Amino acid sequence: MMRRMLASIVLAAACCGAAAPPGLITVSGQLLDVASGFAYFTTGDAFRLSPHVRIVEAETGAPAVTPILPRTYARATFAPDGEIVELALSKTPLPEAESFRLVQRFAVSLSPTKPNPALAPPQPNAHGYLATYSGKPVLVTFMVRVPPTTPLTATVYMATDASGWNPEAIRLERVDALHFRIVERLRSGTVLRYLYTRGSLQSEERAENGLQRPPREVVISDATVRTIHDVVYRWADQSASGELPLPQTIPTPYNPAPFPNLPPGMPTPHPGR
Amino acid sequence: MPTIPAETMRRPALSFALALALATPVLHPLAAIADQAPVNPGVQTLRLEAARVRFYNDRWLLEADGDVHISFGALRIRGEAFSMDLKQDRFVVAGSVRLATPAGTYRGAAFSDFLDFRRCYLFAILAPGDEPDHWTFVDGDFAHPQKGLQMPGDAFALPNLAGASPDVTAHSAVVGTTAFVRFAHPLVRIAGMDVPLPSYYVSFSADPDLAQNSLAGANFDGTLNLTGDAHAISAVHLRYDTQNKGYLAVEQHLASKNAFAVFSINPLTRPSKFWNLVTGWQPSPRFSIRTFSQVHTFQYGLRQPLESSQFTAVQLTQALRQSFLQVNLQQVNYTMLAPSPTGYYGDPTHAFVPNHPSSVELGVTTFQHQIGRLPSYESLHYGAGFTHDVFGLQTYGGVTYSTIWNHYAGLTLFTSSLPLGDRHDPLKTYFFNATFAKQRQWFSVPHYIDTTDAVASLSRRFSNALTAYVAYEVNNTGDYYLQGGYGSYVPIVDGTPIYGFAAFHGVATLRTLSLGAAYQPNGEFSASLLLRKHDDFPQPYPGLFPPPPLNVLGESFTTNYLGQPPYDITGEVRARIAPRLSVDIQRTYFFNFGTLRWSPQFVIQVIPQ
Repeated sequence: MMRRMLASIVLAAACCGAAAPPGLITVSGQLLDVASGFAYFTTGDAFRLSPHVRIVEAETGAPAVTPILPRTYARATFAPDGEIVELALSKTPLPEAESFRLVQRFAVSLSPTKPNPALAPPQPNAHGYLATYSGKPVLVTFMVRVPPTTPLTATVYMATDASGWNPEAIRLERVDALHFRIVERLRSGTVLRYLYTRGSLQSEERAENGLQRPPREVVISDATVRTIHDVVYRWADQSASGELPLPQTIPTPYNPAPFPNLPPGMPTPHPGR
Repeated sequence: MPTIPAETMRRPALSFALALALATPVLHPLAAIADQAPVNPGVQTLRLEAARVRFYNDRWLLEADGDVHISFGALRIRGEAFSMDLKQDRFVVAGSVRLATPAGTYRGAAFSDFLDFRRCYLFAILAPGDEPDHWTFVDGDFAHPQKGLQMPGDAFALPNLAGASPDVTAHSAVVGTTAFVRFAHPLVRIAGMDVPLPSYYVSFSADPDLAQNSLAGANFDGTLNLTGDAHAISAVHLRYDTQNKGYLAVEQHLASKNAFAVFSINPLTRPSKFWNLVTGWQPSPRFSIRTFSQVHTFQYGLRQPLESSQFTAVQLTQALRQSFLQVNLQQVNYTMLAPSPTGYYGDPTHAFVPNHPSSVELGVTTFQHQIGRLPSYESLHYGAGFTHDVFGLQTYGGVTYSTIWNHYAGLTLFTSSLPLGDRHDPLKTYFFNATFAKQRQWFSVPHYIDTTDAVASLSRRFSNALTAYVAYEVNNTGDYYLQGGYGSYVPIVDGTPIYGFAAFHGVATLRTLSLGAAYQPNGEFSASLLLRKHDDFPQPYPGLFPPPPLNVLGESFTTNYLGQPPYDITGEVRARIAPRLSVDIQRTYFFNFGTLRWSPQFVIQVIPQ
């Protein structure tokens, strides 16, 4: 009799959406598995299923036709004794019901939980700053000072590991004679590796000692905006006395006149009298 | 009566019996392998097979569902679903998980491996009816699970893929952790269509050497990485540029810890082909070698070339304490074909050019040093070298020089971002920058070349999105002969003598006033405008100076050339058109300089991000 009453309550709850009758708790989550009388959620919690658990479609409340597969979203209704009495299934995320914290006392695990020192909350640094990584979008401004030998007509780009090191992936805008800037929207938690280029990896930035430098790396933490200042000391295609040729050019290694496009017919320099 | 509908449960009686059978080794794991070696943090190979394997390029997610089989080192894992965040270097297997390790076989609801942290987590299922357990495996020690150890909150997190469509679908994939993923016989989403391919490779390596490329720019480049691994990529490029139009190019990348090589043929399907080889090797932290070799052929298909030239550049760099030493060697063969009795091949546009000059230069560049306590910096460079061509490089005074020695010295000074105005309000602060570079190069032919470049700019940020600057540059090049030099010359253009040019005796001064503004409201859109006024000597005149060579994008190779139109304005817009794709459109207007108004064409680039 009691079981029938409970089932009726659960059915009513399903029909009315997520609102659970008094005494029952409803949470929404994503399933990993349902096996051996337990439901396993991606939160890492396992809950005991009532022997009389009802499995329904979340949208209609009708008996479920959605197979219980990993990734399935579910709204679980808990009886006061901690057993799940109803699982409402959906292929799409379900609106958040009550907090999982309310049902974590019902989570089962054979071994008692032992604290994990590696999961201790992060501590503020020496400046009192505590970096957090929630995935929120952060407007990040990259401001770079380029070598003074950079032509005023040059374009500067960023090549990143996220773009497969495409040397023209992110184009920067010139700020003045020595600075370029770009604003990117990155999610906090992003680890971005990047290098500045002038449009090809043959004209990528070099370390101050002229050698190839490892990619720059930045970890984006939670913030509203962030500005990163970088310095490029030199470009790979610039030697001490000029620029080295790039692919698909036929270079002239020696040009006796420093003017590449004098009028045709102009006499070459001569000793005169 | 149980109310679980039979069709909703995946585990019928047979599976249940199988689970019971499997429970025995779970409860009594095989003999443990003591002191298991820690997981290698380098590239490891993970082989994945499933009913459906999907790759989401914009999120670096590899997902699989249905009868998932994974082979990962000594582990064999089965499950119903698989999710791997390639960038975070971790994966989750969920649903009826069977984990076979050298230490034993375990069952669970889910298993995850956080590779960078050398931690594996198992949501263990023991005997039917028993409560599940949380096991953590540390450093690859599967014999001694740490039971009940608190796990990260996202140890078994699966991504929300609602509304996302995969870029690649297949039945199997090979992952080189931290480096690449390769699919066999996938369907790859190209221009909205699923195109079957024999193989497809995606690199997400943090090592830029594997991405070194030897291709020139293009308006559009669709890269198809056909296959590869942690040290190699074989790619086909579908490209478009304004000179060659649509064409194919091929590229082979190779990389190891301190070296790389990349070879390409670009375009492959046009007669004017460039065969490029770029290599780099850094045998020590203070020394590197880079080479660039290029063969240009003009040939239809792979038939006898009508042109064939070769260029090789070698650069050796040795880091010093406060400077670096660089040796640059270049060698060119303008024609590698046997001499033709007619002086050309096919038609006169493919002429025989016997010259094969070479040059060697040794130079030292010092680091940027602050000048006292001033906000200014200096850097010096100096060096020497020679150029040689047996057919002669220059004739002067009746003497043909086949070898010309030179030495040079230069100085660069700059001051960076001096704040002016209201320094407390960043939107009312002006920043002043100035650079000055001077070089003199002496030659064994009795002349020297002085180049001087001075730039000053003033910039201001008007809002977080809008910045503007004004810059003035004076570029002076003087070619001074100890005797004589450039004589007066009056060129004639369309019957009109240009008398003003007669004042040119080897000294040119290019003055450029620039006003630039950039608007960047967010990371998805940017627009910029650049107005320039040139006041040059010798003065430009339409048709007087040959136009500078343009690259395949329609841009000038050289930045400072004679004959720039007095006024130009360039507008550019870049917008993100897909999560990882941007389009860049640029065009210049020249304000009625002769017949020149608009630049030859829009420069349009579609750029993967």
